[in-house]
Amino acid sequence: MEEDQENRGELILVKQGAEARVFESSFVGRRCIIKERFSKKYRHPSLDAKLTLKRLNAEARCMTKARRLGVTTPLLYAVDPMLHTLTFEYVDGPSVKDLFLEFGVHGVVEERLDDVAAQIGDAIAKLHDGGLVHGDLTTSNMLIQSSTNRLVLIDFGLSFTSTLPEDKAVDLYVLERALLSMHSSCGDVMEKILAAYRKSSKQWSSTLNKLAQVRQRGRKRTMVG
Amino acid sequence: MKTFDVSGGDTLSFSLFDDVTNAKELLDSMQAGALEPEVALLNPSLIPDLFPVLVAAHKTLLFKSRGSLTTRTLHSELVYNYSGSKHISESLKRCGISDGSTYVLAAKFNASIEEMTAVASLIKGKEIGLEELEARASTSQIQKHYKVPAPELEISSLADAITCRIAARDAL
Repeated sequence: MEEDQENRGELILVKQGAEARVFESSFVGRRCIIKERFSKKYRHPSLDAKLTLKRLNAEARCMTKARRLGVTTPLLYAVDPMLHTLTFEYVDGPSVKDLFLEFGVHGVVEERLDDVAAQIGDAIAKLHDGGLVHGDLTTSNMLIQSSTNRLVLIDFGLSFTSTLPEDKAVDLYVLERALLSMHSSCGDVMEKILAAYRKSSKQWSSTLNKLAQVRQRGRKRTMVG
Repeated sequence: MKTFDVSGGDTLSFSLFDDVTNAKELLDSMQAGALEPEVALLNPSLIPDLFPVLVAAHKTLLFKSRGSLTTRTLHSELVYNYSGSKHISESLKRCGISDGSTYVLAAKFNASIEEMTAVASLIKGKEIGLEELEARASTSQIQKHYKVPAPELEISSLADAITCRIAARDAL
């Protein structure tokens, strides 16, 4: 047991969520993050094993797909199908959430805000044009790497591939709601993000049309009639 | 020669050779399982940096500890894992050495100094510094083998792109 601990290096719990635990550790001499999907005791064991593994693999796939599309995500180091863990690069820098909250307290640095909003819009456009929907676009799932000032998208746990304007519009809508509720003191960030999105995406018009409809009805579609 | 810690006290040692003249013999004795000491011989044109090799090594050791290697030996598994592909023979051909190879990277798990000296005497060529890897790696071959599209290179180094593919292979 002790040896096993040594093998995996020291683990420091960073965050505990509903689906996974996140640890900080080291991997072949580099600082890393380990995300462990744990099993759900209320599910049937064989179903649980299947679902956990399927989602683990899907997340690894989506992260690497995002990189191929030119969107920075943490570098994947390892996937362990037995322990249900993903190991990736440790990204040093604040989340966009913390950055924006800081703006709320100490006043907005316009230039910085514009830069971050433009990067967000550009990144989402690249994902969407490549047929990838993030599924959980919130400001806490976006980091700004300190060394490069570059936006890094994290947590592809709810990501999936889709080319439907509906899915992309809902993706944007989730972000819009998150911005409204958390960061209203930063002004209309969403407008800046959408401006960048429009510039980068070739399919912006169908997505933004759909977004207007989604705003009317909310995230869930009514299945009446 | 250089040695790195991979995990839990297991190490991987590297030596890089140029002007190698006996690639065919090496390949033959390796395929006969008679290469002594056992060593992985990699094609350095696909290796711009040692980190992705260490990532492949980490995976190799993990699967070895679970008794679930895909190929016959620990060292062939390293070559296979480095390829980022599931096609074994193709992987060994492209990421390993071939008859006419003159530029060769040797890698050995938990090697003693004596064993690495033995490896060096096995390979008829000139040992050169590992810092040569980056400049001598073939960008076009790497892009083709690992299918690295242009947008990815805007945000990522070749070594990082390779690392991702090695890590994600079994998830695809």
